[in-house]
Amino acid sequence: MEFFLRQTINGLTLGSVYALLAIGYSMVYGILKLLNFAHGEVYMFGAFAGYGMLVMLGGPASPIVPVWLLIPLMFLAAIVVSIVVGVTMERFAYRPLRNSPRIAPLISAIGVSFFLQATALFLFSAGFRSYDAPDLIDISTGIAIGPVDVWLVRVLVIVVASTLMVLLTLWVNKSRTGKAVRAVSFDREAAEMMGIDVDRVVVVTFLIGSALAGVGGVMAGLVFGRIFSFMGFTAGLKAFTAAVVGGIGSIPGAMLGGLLIGMAESYTTAYISSTFQNLIVFSLLIIVLLVKPTGLLGKPELVKV
Amino acid sequence: MIRNRKPGLRVAVMIAVLALVAAACSPSDGTDTTEAAGDPTTTAGAAATTTEAPGTTVPAATTTEAPMAVCDGTIGSIIPITGPVAFIGEVQRNWSQYAVDVYNEEHGTAYEFVEGDNMFDVAQSSVLAAQIIDDGSIMALVGPAGSDQVDAAGAAFEQGDPTLTYISPSSTRVGITAKYAGLFRTVPTDDDQGPTSADFMIESGATKVFIIDDQSSYSTGLADIAAAALEAGGVEVTRESVAQDVTDFSALVGTIADDTDWVYLPWQVAANGQLLGNQLVEQGKEIPIFGSDGMDSGDFTIAGSVIAAFAPDISSVEESADLLEGFLAEYPETNTFGPPVFVAVTVIAEAYSRVCQSDGEITRAAVLAEVQATDQSSSILGQPIAFSADGDLIGGTFFFFEIQEDGTKVQLP
Repeated sequence: MEFFLRQTINGLTLGSVYALLAIGYSMVYGILKLLNFAHGEVYMFGAFAGYGMLVMLGGPASPIVPVWLLIPLMFLAAIVVSIVVGVTMERFAYRPLRNSPRIAPLISAIGVSFFLQATALFLFSAGFRSYDAPDLIDISTGIAIGPVDVWLVRVLVIVVASTLMVLLTLWVNKSRTGKAVRAVSFDREAAEMMGIDVDRVVVVTFLIGSALAGVGGVMAGLVFGRIFSFMGFTAGLKAFTAAVVGGIGSIPGAMLGGLLIGMAESYTTAYISSTFQNLIVFSLLIIVLLVKPTGLLGKPELVKV
Repeated sequence: MIRNRKPGLRVAVMIAVLALVAAACSPSDGTDTTEAAGDPTTTAGAAATTTEAPGTTVPAATTTEAPMAVCDGTIGSIIPITGPVAFIGEVQRNWSQYAVDVYNEEHGTAYEFVEGDNMFDVAQSSVLAAQIIDDGSIMALVGPAGSDQVDAAGAAFEQGDPTLTYISPSSTRVGITAKYAGLFRTVPTDDDQGPTSADFMIESGATKVFIIDDQSSYSTGLADIAAAALEAGGVEVTRESVAQDVTDFSALVGTIADDTDWVYLPWQVAANGQLLGNQLVEQGKEIPIFGSDGMDSGDFTIAGSVIAAFAPDISSVEESADLLEGFLAEYPETNTFGPPVFVAVTVIAEAYSRVCQSDGEITRAAVLAEVQATDQSSSILGQPIAFSADGDLIGGTFFFFEIQEDGTKVQLP
């Protein structure tokens, strides 16, 4: 029981990070029908921004502010940097291609991904940086969930990610701008005709998706320790898989997909072998697409004939 | 006057920019804290197996009977100055330059060292190899560092110019020197590392060892050798495998039994080992890690862990004290990847000098023959330097270091 519980918590932690990333993929696809392959790099820049804030404020061993203030400041730095990267990306790489054939922005996204990786390599070099979170919050500090002691950082990741997902769901469903986002996602042209500023809605979508990716980057740094210039590629791929499994274009689907992928990785390692982790995850993707091509919570597109 | 309606946004952006600048300016991990840096409290233990030649009394590693010829030439390199193992490449570069400077000063030569950064990347190694083949001024080079990179460059050299000499200061894969005519190395092989590491664990009383490879050829090869030796010694071995880009090992750590005696990590990326070690502690598993030479880095500082290294703590080698002191006066830090490079560059410089003295013109074929004929009675490593017919270092062995609470390393007897 203890073993299963621990692996479940491991899976939830990993899945929370994937879910935050997957939401960005889904939101952008829902609005623009664009797979933003550069989203993983936004997450990477967020991780470095959080690290930079950590270094600026004294480092993990001797921070000059209390930890309860330091971590939110790290999140804030990551959010701001990720938003700047994401919104700039939209403005200069995707908006000019909005009325082009769908392949054009897709290629542009791939190009932006490589551009951002190379920029990060130039700025930060390819060496690893470490958040050294055990120096910030002792590894023995945690809460007991049944027979399992869970490190406080993992609890923080799960709680923050869950809170953000709930807030996002409420915002999308209850707020005026959220309604506009849903309208544009449903039918861009009709929304425009109804007086919705589509450009503004797109920017807001990228803003929120990027902010969540930035938060995910800091979480990854806190839990998994090291960050590096190429960390966005694998994470982005897994998050994209999560978004597709959950239903690309569906925000609840992205959340569910992220958690499912995280749990699948954890349980595969625990009960089969770590060698088959990626095999199982991508097999899951294929099976879901074969059985339900729109994803678990995705809705089929209605096409008027 | 136009009011600034979003002062908060500007402040937030400024803070974020500062954060990115701070991240860019911070050093990447890998600052080595080994006690080899001249600390008198270092335990100057003997090597795991005896390697010192009997009656070795030559005081300095470079003062062999090299001719005092005024010669010039270029020594190239393919080393990972940037990339995931930059902590290796930076030290290798510094020791290479230092070796050239020391040799030039002692012998009145004018050799030049040229950097070649392969970022620990296989494809980049091939590109650099091709450039070096075309560079007529380079008669020999040091590197590449990793065995996969050696394979890539070696294939290029075999096709482009099989007379080009290249000495790897850190590739330990068994049999690789037999594949390439111009390849030598100044470190022992995994044929030695695997069994000696296994012997260490067996002698520590281990009955259960968990081995995780990182799916690189270096790692799987070493894991296979160590596993076979452990099983032959009656130890229960569990094998697992993870990719180098895995971000979370917590699920895998959960599968390691609490009564495991050692977790053996023949990994190339020490930062991954640090993460796994942290997650072992997080899950309350007090199991020490035994790392291969790839884990010998400032990125890995889990107290109580043991690391294999292919060079000794040279602060314990009397003949090398002055050299080490001179190096640390110029460069900020060192680690066990440094001294084998010094040996490699010195071997090349001496080969150049012998050729220069006898023929006057340094050619690649002549340098290759001279390197093969190397016979130094002592070196900075505290052992003589000579190569087998395949190009392997004769008499090399591995040494073990224990990581202390403060992150420093102490050589074990």
